Amino acid sequence: MARVVVLGAGIAGHTSAAFLRKWLGKDNDVVVISPQPTYNWIPSNIWVGVGLMKKEAVVFPLAPIYERRQIDFLQAKAVALWPEGTPEGGAKPKVEVEYTGQGKDGRREFVEYDFLINATGPKLNFAATPGLGPEGNSHSVCTADHAASTSTAFLESVERMKKGERQRFAVGVGHGGCTCEGAAFEYVVNLEFELRSRGVRDKADITFITNEYELGDFGVDGLNIKMGGYVSPSKIFTESLFAERGIDFVTRAHVRSVDPGATHIETLDGTRMEIPFDFAMLLPPFTGVGLKAFDATGADITDRLFAPNGFMKVDADYAKKPYEEWTPADWPRVYQSPAYPNLFAAGIAFAPPHPISKVRTNDEGLMISPAPPRTGMPSAVIGKTVARNIVRLIRGEDKPLYTASMAEMGAACVASAGANPFSGTAASMTMFPIIPDYQKYPQYGRDLNSTFGEIGLAGHWIKILLHHMFLYKAKMKPGWSLIPE
Amino acid sequence: MNKPSHLQAPRPTRWTLFWRTFLPWQLWRFLVINLKMLRMMRLEKKHGHKRR
Ligand SMILES: Cc1cc2nc3c(=O)[nH]c(=O)nc-3n(C[C@H](O)[C@H](O)[C@H](O)COP(=O)(O)OP(=O)(O)OC[C@H]3O[C@@H](n4cnc5c(N)ncnc54)[C@H](O)[C@@H]3O)c2cc1C
Repeated sequence: MARVVVLGAGIAGHTSAAFLRKWLGKDNDVVVISPQPTYNWIPSNIWVGVGLMKKEAVVFPLAPIYERRQIDFLQAKAVALWPEGTPEGGAKPKVEVEYTGQGKDGRREFVEYDFLINATGPKLNFAATPGLGPEGNSHSVCTADHAASTSTAFLESVERMKKGERQRFAVGVGHGGCTCEGAAFEYVVNLEFELRSRGVRDKADITFITNEYELGDFGVDGLNIKMGGYVSPSKIFTESLFAERGIDFVTRAHVRSVDPGATHIETLDGTRMEIPFDFAMLLPPFTGVGLKAFDATGADITDRLFAPNGFMKVDADYAKKPYEEWTPADWPRVYQSPAYPNLFAAGIAFAPPHPISKVRTNDEGLMISPAPPRTGMPSAVIGKTVARNIVRLIRGEDKPLYTASMAEMGAACVASAGANPFSGTAASMTMFPIIPDYQKYPQYGRDLNSTFGEIGLAGHWIKILLHHMFLYKAKMKPGWSLIPE
Repeated sequence: MNKPSHLQAPRPTRWTLFWRTFLPWQLWRFLVINLKMLRMMRLEKKHGHKRR
């Protein structure tokens, strides 16, 4: 009998736990430890943030589902890993947790494990930029609660515009090292669409602020798409959409601070500027959630298990090298800790070897370029693959068999550009592989037959379908495992 | 600020905009895009997820 502990009930952790339960016999325990009582389908937070959906439509309570599927659930946050056990509690590996609910708030406990998956996602690092975030002077859509309060502020702006006031909207990423450019893009085009739908577009000035070198980089070094007899970079399509929608933009930007009513920006070339706003939605940079690690004697081994940014080191090549020397082989394949073979990471929690987009720094050495995204689909595929490998290890294999390298994996992404069943649109994109491979695909780094993008109403229908399909799957309703990641 | 001037970025023609929300065409595209996504997942199964 083995006990597998999963930290985090987001896209990666929840997928891992669901498949572990499906594949492992009932004599094995699957335990999920996560601080929130609910699951959040984060991609649809965008629609909550523009007042189109209620928060309740994108979250559901985890406890009843886990109870039904015989998955133990601790509403707690992990604080430290003890992979060699604790000095007092014996050699069995443990994770130290602090309860955040279930009537035990604040209580600390050690939970033993045979295998552990760290799927704790990101810490939303609003503190990196003074004044950034819901507790400062800007909004966010990273959590369902953030999105709900963003929606209130957005609708207030709309009311002002209806009374004849002009409103300035600043949307984008709130730091030079951010990673969520795709989500910021989605939010700004949805916001613009909603302003039009509500008849107030003429009263709005919208500015998009991004750390991308060019629009359409999305943290994946951009992509090239065959269309109209040309192979064109995603910059062309993204700039075209912004021109069509009348959205101004600042690229290569680091937000230095967010004051009430104005963001202060510095671009790669050192230009400083102020962008005034009445409403700002700026996404934060991500770090790991700050788990600590200790050995059997209680000595701190955090830096053995985690990279300086707090993400967990796995089987990647972390040697520092320039952009020109990056290869697909740098990227992890089985997400196993090199320090402890029963430790794995999935989703945003694993430490990438380096970004995907070329790293650019300003004169002061500050990075102003996107960190690598780990979007929903790869997070879920990695979560499932890690679960599959753990099941094999429990059954006696000596090493992980299945791989899920982002250099051998594609991503499908549907970015909503306006939500309406007849007049809405979305940009549907696929790319293969996520990490460009210039050995296999010398010209563009990706397979042009599988890398495509198109804007249209069909994309919006697909986005709606995905919303319902993935919530159905996450609720582990009959046939859930047949729905692809 | 890099204002997206009408001259700098290509803009869709009225015809392009029409096709983007023209129902029969979009029903067809719905099918095509889904097939493209499924194809990509097949590729992924072929390349990734494999035994070492
Ligand atoms: C606004 C927005 C829109 C997006 N839209 C898309 C999209 O359209 N398509 C797409 O593919 N991707 C999208 N993404 C990205 C996608 O949401 C992420 O890739 C995905 O959520 C990553 O999954 P994860 O499980 O690694 O992290 P998360 O989903 O963030 O899950 C992390 C989990 O860990 C828990 N946790 C945190 N700290 C601890 C701790 N100390 N101990 C235990 N548990 C902990 C959290 O509560 C959470 O349950 C979007 C992201 C944002 C912010």
